[in-house]
Amino acid sequence: MNWSQFFNTSIGKKLLVGATGLFLCSFIIVHLAGNFQLLKNDEGAAFNAYAAFMGHNSLIQFIAWGLKIIIIVHAVIALQLTFRNRAARPVKYAINPGNQTSSWFSRQMAIMGSILLIFLIIHLADFWWKFHYGDVPTRTYEGGIEPLKDLYTIVNSAFKVEWLVALYVIGMIGLSFHLVHGFKSAFQTFGLNHVKYNGLINFVGVWLFGIAIPVGYAIIPLVIYFK
Amino acid sequence: MEHYNMNLTLKVWRQKNTDAQGKFETYPVSGISSEMSFLEMFDVLNERLINEGKEPIAFDHDCREGICGACSMHINGRAHGPWAGTTTCQLHMRAFKDGDTVTVEPWRAGAFPVVKDLTVDRGAFDRIIEAGGYISVNTGNAQDANCLPINKDDADAAFAAAACIGCGACVAACKNSSAMLFLSAKVSQLSLLPQGQPERKSRALNMVAQMDKELFGSCTNTGACEAECPKEISLTNIARLNREFISAGFTYEK
Repeated sequence: MNWSQFFNTSIGKKLLVGATGLFLCSFIIVHLAGNFQLLKNDEGAAFNAYAAFMGHNSLIQFIAWGLKIIIIVHAVIALQLTFRNRAARPVKYAINPGNQTSSWFSRQMAIMGSILLIFLIIHLADFWWKFHYGDVPTRTYEGGIEPLKDLYTIVNSAFKVEWLVALYVIGMIGLSFHLVHGFKSAFQTFGLNHVKYNGLINFVGVWLFGIAIPVGYAIIPLVIYFK
Repeated sequence: MEHYNMNLTLKVWRQKNTDAQGKFETYPVSGISSEMSFLEMFDVLNERLINEGKEPIAFDHDCREGICGACSMHINGRAHGPWAGTTTCQLHMRAFKDGDTVTVEPWRAGAFPVVKDLTVDRGAFDRIIEAGGYISVNTGNAQDANCLPINKDDADAAFAAAACIGCGACVAACKNSSAMLFLSAKVSQLSLLPQGQPERKSRALNMVAQMDKELFGSCTNTGACEAECPKEISLTNIARLNREFISAGFTYEK
C-alpha cells in the first residue's frame, strides 16, 4: 500500500481529519488568548499592537495560510467521509435507537462542523478580510511610533449588532458540541485508547475544549454588546 | 419471574427478493408465552401463516443458543432487541408487555443486501476474512501448548476478541454501517498472538482495503457497535486495529 492508497482508505482519511482537528484545537487556545486583549481597558492599544504583529510577522503569516489549508483539508475530507457513510445505508431504518446506544454529540459531528464552517466564513470575511484588504482607520497610541490599523474599533462596533452577537454565540455552541466528541474521538482514531489516559483525554475534551474555550470565546461579543 | 401470556402487534419487513420493493406488514399475534424466545414467537406466527396458505416470514437462524450469529433482526430500533449482550434467539418474550407493538426490520446496510424478508447476505464479512483474517501454517499435529509462551493478559484479550460471531450487529447498529468492530476483532485475535505475527502487517492493510471495497461506512467512534454487540467486543479493539493499520501503513514495504 503506497502513501496515496494509505491516505485514501477510510482509516487513512480519518487520520487526516483527526490530525488536522487536533492542530485546530491547539490553534483555538492561542487565538482565544489573543482575543482576550479585546477586553482590556486600554482603548485597544494592546489588541491593535497584537493584530499588527500577527498580520506582519512572516512566520505567523506562513502558519496562518497553513491554518486555512488545514481547515479546508479537515472540512473536505470529513464531508467526503460523511457522504460515504450516508451512502452506506441506502434504505434507512423505520425506528432508530436514538440515545440508547450512542451519545447525541457523537452523531452530530457533521452538522456541528457545518455550522462551524459557515461561522468561520462569516468570521473571516468580517474581520480578517477587512483587516488585510479593507479600508481600516488607523490610530496612534501614546508611546507608539507608527499608526496602527484600528481593528479594535471594528470589532467593538461589529459586536453592537444583535444578529452578529447571536451568530457568534451559536457558532461557539457548535464548537462546543463538535469538540465534546471530536477531541477524544481523534485519540481513538490514532489508536490511543488506554485505561491510564482515557480519563484525562475525556476530561480535557469535555471541560477544556467542550466548555471552557467556547465559553471564553462567547464571552467576548457578549461583554462588548452589554458594555 | 412470573410466567404470563401476551398479545402483540408485529410490524415485520416483507421483501420478496433483493430487487423487490419491500414494505411493512402488520400481524397480530396472541397467546405468546413470556418464556418463549423471540424466534419461537416467529415460529408460532409462521406456522399460522403456513396453515393459512400464506408465505411464511424468512429469517436466519441456526444454533438458537446465542453462538452462531445468524439471527439478524433489528427489533424496535435495536440490533437483536432491547437486551444488552444478547442475540435474537436469546431474547425472550418477557422483554415485552401485553399489547406492545414490535417492529422488526432486517439489518440495513448497502453491504448487506436483503435476500428475503429479514434475511440478509453477509458475504461481505466472508470476503473481508478471505483478505487476511487467517494464518498460513502447514497442517499437522498441533505442537505442545506450552512451547509457545503467551502473556496471560494477551491471551485473554485475544480470546475476548475471538468471541466475535460475525453476526453483523455492529454494522446494523452503526449510523455509518461501519464494519470496524468486526474487523478489529478479527485483526486483534491474531495480532495479539505469536501465530499471527508473520502476516501481521499485510493482514491489517488487506482487510481494511477489502472493508472499504465492500462499501461499509467509516468509524466515527460513536460506540453504538460496542453497545449492541452480543459478545460485548470492546472499542479497545478498534483502537488496536487503528494502531495495526497505522504501523503497517508506515512500515510495510509493499
